[in-house]
Amino acid sequence: MKIEFWGQEFKANLFIGIPGAFLISILSSMFGFGGGPFMVPLMTVFMRLPMYVVVGSSLLAIFFNTLMGTARHYGFGNFDLILFLIMFPAAILGGYLGPKIAKRISPIAVKRAAVVGLLILAMSLLGIF
Amino acid sequence: MKKLLSFITISLVIACFTVSGYAQNDTEQKKTEDTQKETVTIQVDKTQLSGGGKITITGKAPAGKDVYVEVYSERKVRAARLDSDPDPKTGKRPYIFYMTDDMPALYRLIVPEKYKSVLEDAKAKKGKWSVSEVIKNTGADAVYGYPAKIKIDRYQTTLWASIIGSRGEKLEPMDEKENKKRSMQLLKAKFRSVGNVFSSKLKIEQDGTFKAEVELPANTAPGKYFVVAKVDKDIKSEPLVIENVVSFPNVYLPNAGRTVNIFWPFILAAAITTFGVLMGAGGGFILNPILVMFGLPHTVVAGTVMPTVLFSQATGIYNYSKIKFINWKLGIIMGIAAAAGGFIGPKLTELITLDQYKFLFGWILIILAALMLWQTTPKYLEKNKKEQAILKEFKKRAEESAKKKQQGGN
Repeated sequence: MKIEFWGQEFKANLFIGIPGAFLISILSSMFGFGGGPFMVPLMTVFMRLPMYVVVGSSLLAIFFNTLMGTARHYGFGNFDLILFLIMFPAAILGGYLGPKIAKRISPIAVKRAAVVGLLILAMSLLGIF
Repeated sequence: MKKLLSFITISLVIACFTVSGYAQNDTEQKKTEDTQKETVTIQVDKTQLSGGGKITITGKAPAGKDVYVEVYSERKVRAARLDSDPDPKTGKRPYIFYMTDDMPALYRLIVPEKYKSVLEDAKAKKGKWSVSEVIKNTGADAVYGYPAKIKIDRYQTTLWASIIGSRGEKLEPMDEKENKKRSMQLLKAKFRSVGNVFSSKLKIEQDGTFKAEVELPANTAPGKYFVVAKVDKDIKSEPLVIENVVSFPNVYLPNAGRTVNIFWPFILAAAITTFGVLMGAGGGFILNPILVMFGLPHTVVAGTVMPTVLFSQATGIYNYSKIKFINWKLGIIMGIAAAAGGFIGPKLTELITLDQYKFLFGWILIILAALMLWQTTPKYLEKNKKEQAILKEFKKRAEESAKKKQQGGN
C-alpha cells in the first residue's frame, strides 16, 4: 500500500504489517502491556518505514488495541475499579516525572539497566531463580 | 349398664391419652439424648478482627470421632479453570472452561492433627498436588461442604470460539457430585498452594473436646467469616460469625479478592511508569509481573493496567494529530488489525493458568530485553541518531506549519 507523509511517498508492506500488528496486539492485550516497544520495530525494521512516519501512526494503531482490549477485559469482569483508581494517578505522575528525568541521564545507560532488569524478571517468572 | 359402659369408655380414653402422652415424652427424651450425643458445639475466642489475625476455635464433638473445621468468607471472588487434561480412556482433551463467581475470597479446611503428613506429602508434590486427593486422604470427603455447592458455569470452548473471543457454548449445569469435583479443582486454581486451602492445626482430645487455630492473613477480605465444625455431613455445629474490618490505608480490591495497602501499588506504579518512560517501553512490562508475583490474579492485573495508558495514548495521538504527524491511513489499517488482536487477547488471559502466564511473559521479556540490547549497539545508535535528527527536523517543520496555519486562520 502506498502512503503519503509530508509530501513523500512510502510503500507500506501490509502483508507483514497486518499479521504483525494482529499478533502483537493479541499478546499485548493478553498480558496487559503496551505494544509500543514491539509495534515500532515492526514498522521500522520489518516494514522499512522511517521513524518519523512511525511515531504517530504506531501510537494510533496501539490505541485501537488498548481501547478494544480494555472493553473486552471490562466485559469479562477483569477490571478492578479500586486498583485502577490507585494506579491511574500513579501512571500520570510517572508520565510527568519520566521526561523530566530523561533529560538528565543517558538513554543508553537506562536501556542497559532495563535489559538487566528485564532478564532478572524473566528468569524469576520462568522459575529459574 | 349404660353408666358402666360410659365409664369404661371414658377411662379407656383417658388411659389412651396418658399412655400416648407418656410415649411421646419418652421419644422426646430419647431424641434430646441423641442430639446431645451427636452434636458439635464451638466457641471462638474473638468475633472481631481488624486486618486479619489469629482465631482460636474450641469445641466439643462426640468422643472418638474426627472433627473438621471449615472457615469461609462471605466475600466472593471469581475462579476459573480450563480443563484440557486428556481423558484417560479416550485421550481426547475436553477443553471445558469452568468458572464461578461464588468462590469465597478465603476458604480453609482444618483437618485433625494426625493428617499432618497428608498435607506435607501434598506440599512435596509442588504444583502437582490435588485438592481431591488431600480430601480423600484426610477422610474429609463428607465434611467438605461449602465450596461443593457453589454455582459453577461451564462452557465448551473451541479454537473457533477463542478466535471470535467467546467463552464458548454454555453447557447444562452439573449434578451435585460433578459440581463438587469441579469445585475442588477451582479451589486449587484460585488458591494454588496446599497451605492456602488446608491446615492441620486441630487437636482433638479423647473426650471429644477439640481446639483449632486459624490465621486470617493481613490481606484477607473484610466482612463476615463463617466457622463451622463438622463430624460428617449431618453432624455439625451452627456456623459462628467473625467480622473482619479493613481500615485505611488498606483497601479491599473486590475483583482481586485481596486487601492491599493503598500506597504500595501507587508507589510501585509511579516508580515503574517513570522508569518505563526512560527506557522507552510502557511500564506494563515490569509492573504486571510484579503485581502478579505479589499475588494479584493475572486476569485482574492485565484488565486493570491496560486502561491506565488509554489516557496518555489519547493525549499523545491528539498532540501528534495537531501537527499532522499521523498517517491516518496507515494507522487505521494497522489499528484494525490491532483491534482484532485486542478482541482475542483478553479471552486468552482467562483461559491460561498462572503458570502459563508466567512462562509466556518470561519469554516475552527475554525478547524485549534482546530488542533493547540491540538498540544499544553502536550500529543501531548511529542509524537512530540520523533518524532522530530527521524526526526532529520534520517535527519542527510540522509544528511551524501548524502554527502558521493557526495564525493564517486567525
